[in-house]
Amino acid sequence: MYELNICHLYPDLLNLYGDRGNVIAIAKRSQWRGVQTTISNISMEDKFDAQNYDIIFLGGGQDYEQEIIQDDVLNQKGNEIKNAIQNDKVFLAICGGYQLLGNYYKTWDGKEIEFLKALDFWTVGGKERMIGNFCFECDFLKTENYDGRIVGFENHSGKTYLGPTVSPLGKLVKGYGNNGEDGFEGATYKNVICSYSHGSLLPKNPVLTDHLITLALKQKYKDFVSLQKLNDEFEELAHKTMIQRIVG
Amino acid sequence: MNIRLTFTIIVAKLLVFVLRILKSGGTTLPGKIARKLYPDIIKVISKDYKIIMVTGTNGKTTTTKIIGEILKVNGQEYITNKSGANLFGGIVTTFIDSVDLSGRAKAPIALIEVDEAAFNVVCDYIEPDVLVVTNFFRDQLDRFGELYSTLNSVKSGISKSSKTKLILNADDSLCASLGKDTDKEVTYYGFANEAYKAKEKFVNTDAMFCIFCKTRYDYENHVYGHLGNFQCSSCGYHRPQTSVTCEKVVELNTSYSNVLFSIDSKIGEGDNKVIQAKINLPGLYNIYNALAAAACGTVLELPSENLVNALENFECGFGRMETITTHRKNIKVILVKNPTGFNQVLNFLMTEEKNMQIAFLINDKLADGTDISWLWDVDFEVLEEAQELIDNFYVSGIRAEDMAVRLKYAGIFSSKIQIVKNYEELLAKGLSNTKEGHSFYILPTYTAMLEMRKLLKKKFGLKEFWK
Repeated sequence: MYELNICHLYPDLLNLYGDRGNVIAIAKRSQWRGVQTTISNISMEDKFDAQNYDIIFLGGGQDYEQEIIQDDVLNQKGNEIKNAIQNDKVFLAICGGYQLLGNYYKTWDGKEIEFLKALDFWTVGGKERMIGNFCFECDFLKTENYDGRIVGFENHSGKTYLGPTVSPLGKLVKGYGNNGEDGFEGATYKNVICSYSHGSLLPKNPVLTDHLITLALKQKYKDFVSLQKLNDEFEELAHKTMIQRIVG
Repeated sequence: MNIRLTFTIIVAKLLVFVLRILKSGGTTLPGKIARKLYPDIIKVISKDYKIIMVTGTNGKTTTTKIIGEILKVNGQEYITNKSGANLFGGIVTTFIDSVDLSGRAKAPIALIEVDEAAFNVVCDYIEPDVLVVTNFFRDQLDRFGELYSTLNSVKSGISKSSKTKLILNADDSLCASLGKDTDKEVTYYGFANEAYKAKEKFVNTDAMFCIFCKTRYDYENHVYGHLGNFQCSSCGYHRPQTSVTCEKVVELNTSYSNVLFSIDSKIGEGDNKVIQAKINLPGLYNIYNALAAAACGTVLELPSENLVNALENFECGFGRMETITTHRKNIKVILVKNPTGFNQVLNFLMTEEKNMQIAFLINDKLADGTDISWLWDVDFEVLEEAQELIDNFYVSGIRAEDMAVRLKYAGIFSSKIQIVKNYEELLAKGLSNTKEGHSFYILPTYTAMLEMRKLLKKKFGLKEFWK
């Protein structure tokens, strides 16, 4: 029997906007296929050993909470996170968690906050928040039956710019995305997926959830081929309803 | 006589009148127009009132209503913004509605519920004599930014006044911080350690770390959310001593609670008093609302006997928990608007012993919060074990489909979840599946509640909400 170990990093601090829904979605969709799951909550001062986990999740937090974890994430867990990413570990990082994996965050008045430098991108604080339902298209999710569209809700003032070694997660159909300028949203590098999308992101986009589960199972089991189909009536309805509303 | 003032009052009063005839509520527009015509109008027409304000993220409306009941029982006349029109425009309208044409007050007291994000601006014009702050939980963050900025803006509002007496929740580390190092008189309310032992697991997501030094709090006792007897081992910040205290929750069921609370002799009259009171509202969160209101009553030096009467007489209104009985079946409407409040409502539903129907009405209009991600912070997982008692989970409103997904991922069988977008159909279905003597619970977000209320009013003659 297959087994997936999910790690939720700083769940008590980086827990803004219902991002834990992503962990719930990964766990449930695995369990519904008979894949056993464990969820480990790893926070401040907890030992983080990436080899114990198959999928690692990082959510967003308020400025206050981000400040609290700053030292722990850079000096205690930083190297382990960077090594795991280089070794093809599956990561999902949302909003503040996304920014944290980059090089730095420059506030709009010029103060530079050092980040993990796990992925080559950087974020510059803007004065206006980019808020609203949004939609983007991921080429890697496109199949005969699926147009690759992802729907969610963004709420950030940071503008993120990608370096040459990192690819955007998708092309915007509607919304601001990374910076409100270049028409792209999120970032991917190896098995890391980063996005500004709350919603939560995964429950309404089951194709993306299954993509992450598949990546993780392929990493772990040589004999794994593919996931069986589920009845996704509610998920697809929620997905379609919002796409129709946003895109028309 | 100030002709410009009188003219403005007449125009605004006429607008209120016309909007009511048109049945559109008319709670905020007249105030907006009045400020255009006479920017300082609010300062002028509020100056004769003794002003009690209630703010915070959860429980404002209920707390305001209980304070109103306390004033009523004590024979005190007051004006209030009953309809929950708690932004600046609505507050201005309330005052306009309550002064005569020359701007003179019609009652000695104004009891005003103020939106926590509007409070700071309101304080530029009105100085409260008494301010009750209920709590700070995450609420509709896409509208207000972050929780700590809400807290800071309330703090800034308070600093504009010199005379305000503060009534603060001691168990909420964020709320209580408003009383630290202040020059104002502060009265704290809260739960004693022995009053209540939480059955739910401790989910503290809003304030885990000391607001002053960022060290993790230790809790001697917790009630719910981040409320409890907190202390910081590093800088020493801790739950302040309370003077209005819930000593014991004797009984807690689906329609009321029975509690013992004590009132410190330093405020109010005479000796320390322990009072047994029946609070005619279910849920732990309403005990906090009652404590806040009781603290307000004692700060106003009203006799404690009357507090007990007021709490027992209290009837809920405007969606905070309204009951309609039809053909011996109950329809119960409870407003839901943020994770902590929603969790409390779910825990309250777990005290129901009879089979029930539940409907979730989720909208994402501006007043609901346009981001519904917070549904994933609500612990719907508690419903999984209670599935036998819940015959049907109906989902409705603009985001019905998202709610269906949320329930499915909380472990509810898909076959029990029905999407019913039409409210009339929803009401018919829910009621027909409700047995006599049983309840159909309707849990709407704010604008869904307004819509549902319209229908309930049409069908069962519910009161107009501005009355």
